[in-house]
Amino acid sequence: MAIMTKNYLFGSSGGWSRLAPVMLLIPGVFLYFLIALGPSMATAVYSLTDASGLRGATVNWIGFDNYREFLFQGLASRDNIDATLRTLRFMVLVTFIQFTLGLILALLVNQKLRGRTVFRTLFFLPVILGVVIQGLMWKLFLQPRGGPMATIFGWFGASSEFLGGQPNGAFMWVVVVQIWANVGITMVIFLAGMQTINADLYEAARIDGASGLSLFRNITWPQLTPAINTNFLLNIIGSLQAWQLFLVLIGYKPGTQVLGYLVFAEGFGQGASPAFRQGFAAAASIVLFFLVLVIGVAANRYVGWREQRYIA
Amino acid sequence: MSLTLGRTPRLPGEPASVSSRSRLVKIASYLVLGAFSVFYVWPLFMLVNTSLRSLPQYLRDPAALVTEPSLANFAEAWRLANFPQYILNSVLYTATATAIFVATSLFVAFPVARGYFRGANAILTLYVVALFLPPALIPQFQLILGLGLYNTRPGFILLFLINPIGMIILVNYMKSIPRELDESAAVDGAGYLRYVFSVIFPLIRPAVATVTVLHAIGIWNELILPTIYLTNKDYFPITRGLIVFEGVYGSNWPGLAAAVLMLMLPMLVLFIFLQRYIIGGLTAGAVKG
Repeated sequence: MAIMTKNYLFGSSGGWSRLAPVMLLIPGVFLYFLIALGPSMATAVYSLTDASGLRGATVNWIGFDNYREFLFQGLASRDNIDATLRTLRFMVLVTFIQFTLGLILALLVNQKLRGRTVFRTLFFLPVILGVVIQGLMWKLFLQPRGGPMATIFGWFGASSEFLGGQPNGAFMWVVVVQIWANVGITMVIFLAGMQTINADLYEAARIDGASGLSLFRNITWPQLTPAINTNFLLNIIGSLQAWQLFLVLIGYKPGTQVLGYLVFAEGFGQGASPAFRQGFAAAASIVLFFLVLVIGVAANRYVGWREQRYIA
Repeated sequence: MSLTLGRTPRLPGEPASVSSRSRLVKIASYLVLGAFSVFYVWPLFMLVNTSLRSLPQYLRDPAALVTEPSLANFAEAWRLANFPQYILNSVLYTATATAIFVATSLFVAFPVARGYFRGANAILTLYVVALFLPPALIPQFQLILGLGLYNTRPGFILLFLINPIGMIILVNYMKSIPRELDESAAVDGAGYLRYVFSVIFPLIRPAVATVTVLHAIGIWNELILPTIYLTNKDYFPITRGLIVFEGVYGSNWPGLAAAVLMLMLPMLVLFIFLQRYIIGGLTAGAVKG
């Protein structure tokens, strides 16, 4: 059969065994196209319609109206653009802090310390608990009336409404929880990178009299390049797309949405209005996609340039 | 300095001369790690603490320590929130979807990893591309609606039958299995199906374990899809059930804390036993050049 390549040797006598791989592969690939790839690409098509979430409702072609509404329609579009800028701010804050903190933690628990596995497990733990537990745990911790964090604030004579306060303040607390929840992934990726570094390099440098910071600058940092690149890209793309902690921690609150939340709120009637504006939501997800694409490609370029520099 | 003033015994693997400088580094490391740990241990501790207190006690002083611990909140949350049903649903969705996903993707990953058919590389590329495409949320909803599967268990499970990252992990691992095995099995006249099941599957068990665990955790923790697709309370998984419970009993923090802990416990146990696979999966391919 022409579809099989020459190195496929099973069922040389012909018959069904000759085609078995392709027949057995079809269910998996079909599901993938049906549930993931197809719908993902169809988002662009839906963004040009006025689709609603009602079964049997007619879907009309409305060209670029959704994009026009998103970008240029008075007060509403100012909110959309604010949400876009907030998404970028969230990305910058989360990426920068999570990357730095993850690196510091990895360096610390990579030393020969008693109890280092306990620390590693502890910092990684929230990753597997999921957004609901992460969010509810912090909601309890951030109770404004006499909660644990409020008590600490009280010692310094300060007080805060935390998640229930001004939009900007609430937003910052989501940043905190987002980093708390995910810094463990960044840490284990750095750790995995550190464990691939040849210990002889450190030995040789120590004999030459290097220590501390100079070991880090001249060996750890350049040798860590693949892990640095992975974390950099994962943090950027992940934080652009993250929004579920906003849902659990503060819900729909004007002045706190990021783009991902906007898609959910508009598309499924979870925002200001109960209408399912799926065409508009699709347009918003395409805007988010372009953001991820442009920033992701730029970051990837930068990463490639760094790699060249360190290998050369 | 060289006088031996009762030096502490060395840890195994520690270099013979521990300078006072490196001991300082060690102390500083412990201080930083300890300070950071507070933010991980304390919220957890407060959760346990709150769950053991009665509501009036909690309202009097939310941050106070428990004086008369009681498990009443657990019993009450269990009774009020319909938890047995939610947990049963979560187990059903997680087990079914993970089993189907693993079974179908084995048979995609193997011929793709081997290049046994034309276009194998193109298929692999399509899985990689998916990581960057826009979220499928809206058209997926239209699809499920059109198929008449909205607010049904099969429709909900259908959404979890794929996982591009899992597929890529499987393909990469299969590439490390020597091709000579295939050749000798084919020469011996083994059938394809039997070969994949009885030779390949046992060899790639570590990768299968990683992918199974990652996929299952993803389903267990999912909140958005049940919010969108399920309106019937009888179908709710535990995450959705917990959010509904919060909506109704939001001011009853002791009850809510008990409920959160009950959802957390299985994950903690799982994590302790499967940590290796989880971390292995998350760092797979992340540190190669």
